[in-house]
Amino acid sequence: MKTYWVAYQIALQETLQRRSTLIMDRLGGFAVVVSLYSFWIALIGNKATFLGYTRAEMLTYVLALNILRSFVFTGRGWQLVGEISTGKISSYLVRPLSYQGYALALDLAQKTVHVAAAFFEVGLLALLVRGGLFLPSDPATWILFGVAVLLSSLLFFFLEFMVSSLAFWTSESGGPLFCFELFLQFAAGAFFPLDVLPLALRRALEATPFPYMVYFPVRIFLEKVSPVEALRILGMEALWLAAVYAAAMTVWRRGVRSYAAEGG
Amino acid sequence: MTTLRKYWRIWLRTASMAMQAQLTYRLGSFGFLLGKMIRLFFFFAFMAAVFSHVETVAGYSLIETALFFMTFNLVDMTAQILFRGVYGARRTVSEGDFDFYLVQPCSPLFRMTCSSVDFLDIITIIPVIVMTGMVFARLPPLGWQSCVAYGLLMVNGVALIYAIHVLVAALAVRTQELESAIWIYRDVMFMGKFPVDVYAPAVRWALTVGVPIAVMTTFPAKALLGRLSAAWIIYAFALTAAALPLSWLFWRDSVARYTSSSS
Repeated sequence: MKTYWVAYQIALQETLQRRSTLIMDRLGGFAVVVSLYSFWIALIGNKATFLGYTRAEMLTYVLALNILRSFVFTGRGWQLVGEISTGKISSYLVRPLSYQGYALALDLAQKTVHVAAAFFEVGLLALLVRGGLFLPSDPATWILFGVAVLLSSLLFFFLEFMVSSLAFWTSESGGPLFCFELFLQFAAGAFFPLDVLPLALRRALEATPFPYMVYFPVRIFLEKVSPVEALRILGMEALWLAAVYAAAMTVWRRGVRSYAAEGG
Repeated sequence: MTTLRKYWRIWLRTASMAMQAQLTYRLGSFGFLLGKMIRLFFFFAFMAAVFSHVETVAGYSLIETALFFMTFNLVDMTAQILFRGVYGARRTVSEGDFDFYLVQPCSPLFRMTCSSVDFLDIITIIPVIVMTGMVFARLPPLGWQSCVAYGLLMVNGVALIYAIHVLVAALAVRTQELESAIWIYRDVMFMGKFPVDVYAPAVRWALTVGVPIAVMTTFPAKALLGRLSAAWIIYAFALTAAALPLSWLFWRDSVARYTSSSS
């Protein structure tokens, strides 16, 4: 465990060292949030609600998106593709550590910095727009939301890990990963609440693991689902995580067996 | 004329090489292409779904909002097709390739910005053009003046994007880092997907004067709909007329300070 703690600390220092890159990353993400928020506010107009969301709930949805994007969608997929393609992964495979644990430690370091920055941005935007945030009064909601977000993060990590592991068989796995990440962000509700979609399409998406990464956690936070329904969502999310973890590890093991240590 | 022909031949050659490279990586290219199509499809589905619940957004109907969205895509994708090279500017500098650009009998700026063509964007722009045509067909009859203003402002928008790309390339030469600069531009461009009228006055002002995304993406569509005053049209062209030489000056100054960053 100490090894991963050290890896986390080093990665944290590295992330903080590249401050200009970090600031620019955050600035770009902030622009997307402002854009989505403005669009939704224009949609709500003078109406009390839109698609069942009040102005405060919609503002909270968009701000929660910023935090969830920083906590959930920061995997190590592109690094894994690069490390396999260049052969750099060989040096990790011979070390007495679990690559997944190591990657999770590095990912956690990224998340630490980005989530801290996201909270700052969210606070700033909430102050600027003065639209009133929706904050759950029931402490149980906060706990349920926290668990949902933690599971979401792991779910994304292992899903991305599985798709990136295609690099063991082809040097062209960047394309499928790009496609997967774009589809995932839309299907997860990271651009707009899935309520806007036609019912049939929404039902189809709800049968996949994607909405469990953003859409359902935010609905839990906004208390749009009952506590019993929230527990059912968490149960489904845990099941998806178990299935995705098993699949990712199977792909990884097979990939390592077929790995030919190309490059360096 | 001879110079133009020379640069056309260089562009064709480098474009052909880029296409061959993309054809070599069929699965990867297919994945990227599919991803771009998915992004387009989802945003269109989103717009259509939104307008099944509301009549207008910021005073614009579905077709008018679709026009803004398609215009954004046309301008953005044209720029991506033509100036793709800037996305690898930092690597070009840090790996020493820029040194070779400097000794070649060709403008290093041209090599840096225009000599990498993304053919996937050329394929992706085809459905965008078709969809734009469908949007045009559903608009009320348009005067030729509006159409000319639309075309000219689109060209102006692409020229303004070029100026931004030159600035980013110059930053890469000057600092050997700031690889995120082009991605900031990409993220901020996201705001151009919607007409700037949806934003708060301060943000609208920033997008018109500060980072002129509105001039690149919203102005052409507004001109077509007859909702852009002559003063704003003049402002758009004046801004580009100022931005282009300034970006070139910054580029020349950055190259003059360049001391090679790789062995």
